[in-house]
Amino acid sequence: MSILANKDTRAVIIGGVAGLNAAKRMAQFDFLVNRPLTVQAFVYPPEEGQQKEIYRGGELNNVTVYASLEKALEENPKINTALIYIGASRAYQSAIEALDVKGIKLVTMITEGVPEKDAKALRKYALEQGKIFNGPSSIGIMTAGECRLGVIGGEFKNLKLCNLYRPGSFGVITKSGGLSNEAMWLCAQNGDGITSAVAIGGDAYPGTDFVTYLQMFENDPETKAVVVIGEVGGTLEEEAAEWYGREKRRIKLIASIGGTCQDVLPQGMKFGHAGAKEGKKGLGSARSKINALREAGALVPETFGGLSKAIKQVYLELQASGVIKPEPELDEKLLPVLPPSVQEVMKQGDVIVEPLIRTTISDDRGEEPRYVGYAASELCEKGYGIEDVIGLLWNKKLPSKEESEIIKRIIMISADHGPAVSGAFGAIIAACAGIDLPQAVSAGMTMIGPRFGGAVTNAGKYFKYGVKEYPNDIPGFLNWMKENVGPVPGIGHRVKSVKNPDKRVKYLVEYVTNQTTLHTPCLNFALEVEKVTTAKKDNLILNVDGTIGCILMDLDFPEYSLNGFFVLARTIGMIGHWIDQNNQNARLIRLYDYLINYAVKEEREVPEKK
Amino acid sequence: MAKILEGPAMKLFNKWGIPVPNYVVIMDPDRLAQLGEANKWLRESKLVVKAHEAIGGRFKLGLVKLGLNLDEAFAAAKEMIGREIGTSVVRQVIVAEMLDHDEEYYLSIAGNRDGSELLLSNKGGVDIEEHWDTVKRLFIPLDETPTIERITESALEAGFTGEIAERVAKIASRLILCFDNEDAQSIEINPLVIRKSDMRFAALDAVMNVDWDARFRHADWDFKPVSEIGRPFTEAEQQIMDIDARIKGSVKLVEVPGGDIALLTAGGGASVFYSDAVVARGGSIANYAEYSGDPPDWAVEALTEIICKLPNIRHIIVGGAIANFTDVKATFNGIINGFRASKSKGYLENVKIWVRRGGPNENQGLAAMKKLQEEGFDIHVYDRSMPMTDIVDLALNS
Repeated sequence: MSILANKDTRAVIIGGVAGLNAAKRMAQFDFLVNRPLTVQAFVYPPEEGQQKEIYRGGELNNVTVYASLEKALEENPKINTALIYIGASRAYQSAIEALDVKGIKLVTMITEGVPEKDAKALRKYALEQGKIFNGPSSIGIMTAGECRLGVIGGEFKNLKLCNLYRPGSFGVITKSGGLSNEAMWLCAQNGDGITSAVAIGGDAYPGTDFVTYLQMFENDPETKAVVVIGEVGGTLEEEAAEWYGREKRRIKLIASIGGTCQDVLPQGMKFGHAGAKEGKKGLGSARSKINALREAGALVPETFGGLSKAIKQVYLELQASGVIKPEPELDEKLLPVLPPSVQEVMKQGDVIVEPLIRTTISDDRGEEPRYVGYAASELCEKGYGIEDVIGLLWNKKLPSKEESEIIKRIIMISADHGPAVSGAFGAIIAACAGIDLPQAVSAGMTMIGPRFGGAVTNAGKYFKYGVKEYPNDIPGFLNWMKENVGPVPGIGHRVKSVKNPDKRVKYLVEYVTNQTTLHTPCLNFALEVEKVTTAKKDNLILNVDGTIGCILMDLDFPEYSLNGFFVLARTIGMIGHWIDQNNQNARLIRLYDYLINYAVKEEREVPEKK
Repeated sequence: MAKILEGPAMKLFNKWGIPVPNYVVIMDPDRLAQLGEANKWLRESKLVVKAHEAIGGRFKLGLVKLGLNLDEAFAAAKEMIGREIGTSVVRQVIVAEMLDHDEEYYLSIAGNRDGSELLLSNKGGVDIEEHWDTVKRLFIPLDETPTIERITESALEAGFTGEIAERVAKIASRLILCFDNEDAQSIEINPLVIRKSDMRFAALDAVMNVDWDARFRHADWDFKPVSEIGRPFTEAEQQIMDIDARIKGSVKLVEVPGGDIALLTAGGGASVFYSDAVVARGGSIANYAEYSGDPPDWAVEALTEIICKLPNIRHIIVGGAIANFTDVKATFNGIINGFRASKSKGYLENVKIWVRRGGPNENQGLAAMKKLQEEGFDIHVYDRSMPMTDIVDLALNS
């Protein structure tokens, strides 16, 4: 037996993420006592139709979110309890709706900061309907061994420590949520645990009171004693004292009242709970409550610290008089163990999981990203630059100063080549069409391929092949290329020629060979090839893709990384073009008809479809 | 609960047709001269100047001056503004028209669980407490509005006669409207007077508490609540209130000057029992503080830093019950960071720290707290097996 919540309780949670978290905690309890899922449905219009994943032990359940209580009840007619987790401004309306549902007998509200006027109206409405409205600001209701409503009882481990898997003999009623948990712990430590525990909330006008629940406990034969934890403010404790003293009661009453310190603190001071405030002329003072309860025959220790002893004393008395017959303790080892998550088991080293991907370059699981082991901030502090990060992330090596400088210059001279080339033009057309930056740059990026910018990798690859296989045999190399590949990648230019050399190439070659100590077998080989090819045709020069490809091979970058330099460099340019077009408010463009040769059929009639 | 100052209360009275004298609230005395040029009543009436602050006992402190002309009111305002009272400073004064009157009446309304209660007396004024037995009470059930006849009846019972009883009832009915519609918790008009010159009623003073939780439905609430403990909020209290308004969960602080035991306690219920435990053992608290509802660690860190700065503290009680959903590890992380920062700024010298807590991730949280011993903190850490408030005994016996 118990009060308020039991094996037959089926709940709907009204509210969003906080309600979902509560449902997860509640399912842990369902698992502990081996009962079906308590939460049958959610009501939260913004997430209508979603399914929430709730684990009851290892069993995964999907609980539906409905837009209205009506729909939730229609599909889950066993629901008899509503938990309100929605914000203060909508809590009143939600609670009224829940109280209006015939099958719902109990509405409990965790929402904090509900206006007093609303709370008062809800209390009245529930009374008129003959229902219970618990809260606002209630952490929930716990019935040991049967049902948990809300996050009352905390984490799974605590449920076991407080013996909540099986009923005891003590009822608990508190205003505070934290102290409901503390009281359950004290009852388990000093007695045999609880039957039910209710937090009524610390607001000025809670929907229910101590008396309502004391009467329920009095009518519950399993409950032999009740622990009430009250505090300064209001008159609920005085009413409880009046109820207890009015006639002979079956249950023993133990109480602890907070706020005796008020005597020495500033008049009018507020504590953490909205209701914890002494009225004029000492009305609702902790002292007057303690006196009233003691006069009514309740056991009220002077301080909270005395509560353990009081519970123990009552427990022993009830045992001695035969009211409580001690039952053998359950072997805790027989209790279910919450299945751990994969992460938890892995941490303990009890399971091996084959990784899905592997990385060898970076790791940001620590306080900051590390590139091949080096902290990014330390690289900054020690004067490294973006070229060094490229070296690390693309080649897992820190380049030397000289090498960094070459990398930097390659990117600088490749960053942009005007608006007319395929990549920039593509990005500009997209920008003019009002496309956002990442998509517009991607539009330009899709142009990079065999005819535009994509030759760097192949140039590097084949010149390297030449160095290795035809070190002193350029004609042999060219023959091999002709037979196996076709035109030599990196050789030839549409406009530039021996007479009209590409300045970028001249500059790069001159810089690398004369101003650095880089060993350049690839570049040297390519220059020898150029001598032979230009002798055949004036424009078969070593172009910028070929030059860069060779230098990067000489810098020892992996051959498949080479196109990355072009992509990276041109990204800078394309972003620039996108920004430029946006700055100018550029308008949508289309080709003029005179730029198109319409080599199409004459106008003609569409034949009938056969 | 939120007390509001006289100015905003008068504004709400005006809105609901409760007559008030002419008044202005100023921060700069020079503004009064300008207002004098614009308002005839300021030039021609006798004036009262009051400090517009949440300071108790204003009369005795000389923060209320009566029967002034505009020049004298200017001088009084100049003298009051900027005056330091304890830890607070007078920043605003309210200048109101003084109404010549004979009788002083008392009218108030306060909420209770089942509705509200209207109080009436024809013996208002500063001595109302002495005449408390003359006060007539009218209970107003929730969602009901008493008829004007019913209120008039109560007014007659309270000793008002004839036309005055009817007019008092009319004002009382407006007071009830104001109370209901403005989510008020209590409103007190003392005194309510009849101006001799034109026999019109006016509420000379207004003490009003509104339900701050209801502010989401009051677009015209342009005021902030003020302290209810007879002094304005301190800077630290204001800072914590600002954080509290922004976060999930809550952090709260009240400074209690002179105490030497600081509280850094969790939970609206448990924190009160910790205060009790200190007082019951003859100690004196330096503050009341509370965090709950799984607040973010940075909010608890801010609270910690403020508490570490409290003057002359010898102990800090980091207490709490076994939490339901407040993450002990995360909130303790905030406290630990706060302790470290405070120590590096030279605070916490010769301060003993006492910890007792349970709840989600309690083992990790308590272990992290315990590790502070290695950093030279005088810290004593206990888990759920230590009775909740016993760390206070340990602190006071050390």
